[in-house]
Amino acid sequence: MSRRQISRRDVLRLGAAAAGGLGVAWATAGCAPGSGAGAGPLQFWQQYAPAPQQDPNLVAQSQWFLDATRRWADAGERPVDMVYIPAYTDPTNTRLTTAFASGDGPDVFLISPGDFLRYYNGGVLTDLTPYMTQEAIDDFYPDALATRIVGGKIYGLPMEQEPLAIFYDVPAFEEAGLSEGDLPTTWDEMLELGRRLKGGQRAGLVLDTTPSYYQNFTFYPWVWQGGGDVVDPRTQRPAIDSDAGVQALGLYRDAVLSGASPRTLPAGGDLVGAFSNGYAAMWQTGVWQVEAMRQNAPDHPYGIFRLPAPAGGESITALGGWAWVVNSRGRDPEAAARFAVEVMGSMSKESIGAAVEWNGVAKGNVPARRSVTEAIGNSGAFESPVLQQFRDEILPTGRGEPRYPPVIYKAVSNAIQNSMLGGADPARQAATAQAAIESYLETYEGGTFL
Amino acid sequence: MSAVTVSRTAGRARVGSGGAAGTGKATQGRRQRRAAFWFLLPDSLGLLVFVVVPMVLAVVLGFFRMDGFGSFEFIGLGNYVRMVGDPQFWSSVRITLLYLVGVVPAIFVVGLALALLVQQRIPFVGAIRSALFVPYVISLVVVAMVWEFMLSERTGVVSRLLGAVGMNDLAFLGEPNLALGTVVVITVWFQMGYYMVIFLAGLQDIPGEYYEAARIDGANAWQRFRTITLPLLRPTSFFVVVTATVSVITGGLDLVFVLTGGGPAGSTTLLIFYVYEQAFLFGELGYAAAIGSVLVVVLLAWSALMFAVTRGGRFDND
Repeated sequence: MSRRQISRRDVLRLGAAAAGGLGVAWATAGCAPGSGAGAGPLQFWQQYAPAPQQDPNLVAQSQWFLDATRRWADAGERPVDMVYIPAYTDPTNTRLTTAFASGDGPDVFLISPGDFLRYYNGGVLTDLTPYMTQEAIDDFYPDALATRIVGGKIYGLPMEQEPLAIFYDVPAFEEAGLSEGDLPTTWDEMLELGRRLKGGQRAGLVLDTTPSYYQNFTFYPWVWQGGGDVVDPRTQRPAIDSDAGVQALGLYRDAVLSGASPRTLPAGGDLVGAFSNGYAAMWQTGVWQVEAMRQNAPDHPYGIFRLPAPAGGESITALGGWAWVVNSRGRDPEAAARFAVEVMGSMSKESIGAAVEWNGVAKGNVPARRSVTEAIGNSGAFESPVLQQFRDEILPTGRGEPRYPPVIYKAVSNAIQNSMLGGADPARQAATAQAAIESYLETYEGGTFL
Repeated sequence: MSAVTVSRTAGRARVGSGGAAGTGKATQGRRQRRAAFWFLLPDSLGLLVFVVVPMVLAVVLGFFRMDGFGSFEFIGLGNYVRMVGDPQFWSSVRITLLYLVGVVPAIFVVGLALALLVQQRIPFVGAIRSALFVPYVISLVVVAMVWEFMLSERTGVVSRLLGAVGMNDLAFLGEPNLALGTVVVITVWFQMGYYMVIFLAGLQDIPGEYYEAARIDGANAWQRFRTITLPLLRPTSFFVVVTATVSVITGGLDLVFVLTGGGPAGSTTLLIFYVYEQAFLFGELGYAAAIGSVLVVVLLAWSALMFAVTRGGRFDND
């Protein structure tokens, strides 16, 4: 038996054939069943499931999502795959942005109000109204749903409402000889208390310092409290250059310059770590910290109070929260919309039960629907007096987080940063922001500002 | 060994046989070119697909307005006109130049100083070299987080040390006047090990005889450094300046994102951060591509200028 030696030419032929085969496989992969519009499960991108951690609460939240998709699939509907996106809320995460830019966005995904207009104006959100009953629409709190509605059509279903309040550290107050009766109700009292509680390694009053959508979110209620706005929802004209806007920027400036507030976030922005280690006495943040405290420092005493108001103003807070939205350019927007509505926006027993489980057990935050609030009552997570206070006292002062496109966000962010940390004149900063927004609105076409 | 000999002999025989030898040489040349082509093909394809095509596409994108959702509109030089009138673009250019001026000379001096130090025969020099190089292999995000905690206002170890000498309430990352300088120091800290290694390689290429001759002539340490080390390090210095400039202008994004988010008051919004913000936070992909194109042109011009001025960093007598 003769043995033929393999020549260099044979190797090259083999290599070329392999490369060609791979190329054909790669080129035709996109046409394969499952990757196109036809078959295969829908994709739901979010930051909860399947949970990569073992923390019982995160596992419970993950399980909630997995159960929702399992129920949907068991009913004979098109399956939905939960796709966990690490650091979903982090500005360094470009996955959602690049997916949409390349025309390969998920079928269902979560967004916050701050991002709503970018996606709505991009034409990728599906109108969910046709899939909902009027009873279900009326079941949502108006402030929770308003920022997801354009022209009377609903483009997102909120899972929760996340009001802001001031959290305070009880040991810090006790060390200073203060009690609940000393909690501030006005801006002046708040700054005075911040100065008084500051000392050693402890910051007095923490206001967010990092330029981001989140910092803007925490800033808006201070403007509203003076009767102002960034953009007037009625006229759709910029309104930041007003007494209320200047006053709010002045509050941030005075808070830092007077020493009541730090220039950077203590404990790397971790409220639990800051309170546990005595690094902060008061902190403006949201309801999600209740769960964080319960998990990580269950025995540490703390309390909350509503955002103090300026002289002559009224206490108003901002309501954040994630909403389910459906990609109108997805594989099957109709099936995805029915899935989203069935889980989040239906009056079915399963839908309300799922929301009760989410708000009252797995996540522990304020529901976006009346029926869910009633069903939870003071059970589950709402046995916590702090959550009850959020629901009964803070929520009624809330207004939905505004939806502004990036240019408006940036103009306001610059004004906050320059006033707060650059020590700039608030009036001048408000005027600069106003001019930038005015210029932008001259050519703006898109959803209304709320 | 014998095979080589035979081959050489055969070659000579072909050369000696006139026209037949010429044909053979041409055939061999064709074979070599073909082999070179096939060997270079995979790498060239990789470069083409992953570098050249994206670069060309980025330049093309710079002439479009894009919303990040598949909508394109050709606007010609619109993005470039916008750039000219965009105060935040110019602010980020100014900050990037300050960052550059702070980092590159510092990296050069610190890298060279460390290389001179670890070139000496000192105990545990291997361990010292490794320790100095370690920051460079750590993830930039981790570097930023560690420094953020160390510099944390009131509670960080640096703040506590300064507090002990009466310098309280210094917010290195919260004061617009301090933040960029702090980012410069951290950048130099994590990059110094890499440039130390580059300089060390350059130093070890300098023949020891030069130093011996200089010593015999009575040159002191400074004279030896000035007249031998620095001139003979010119190729290395050229490499360090060019690569450090490119890395400073195109890098630092992770560091700034974690440390300051571009703040306080925009004082650390580097150009690369601004590009990222426009592209991925605001969905202004066309505008970001236009800024990126300008950045590439500036870096190419800078590199060409450096090549021209230093003659590629070669020695004077080459």
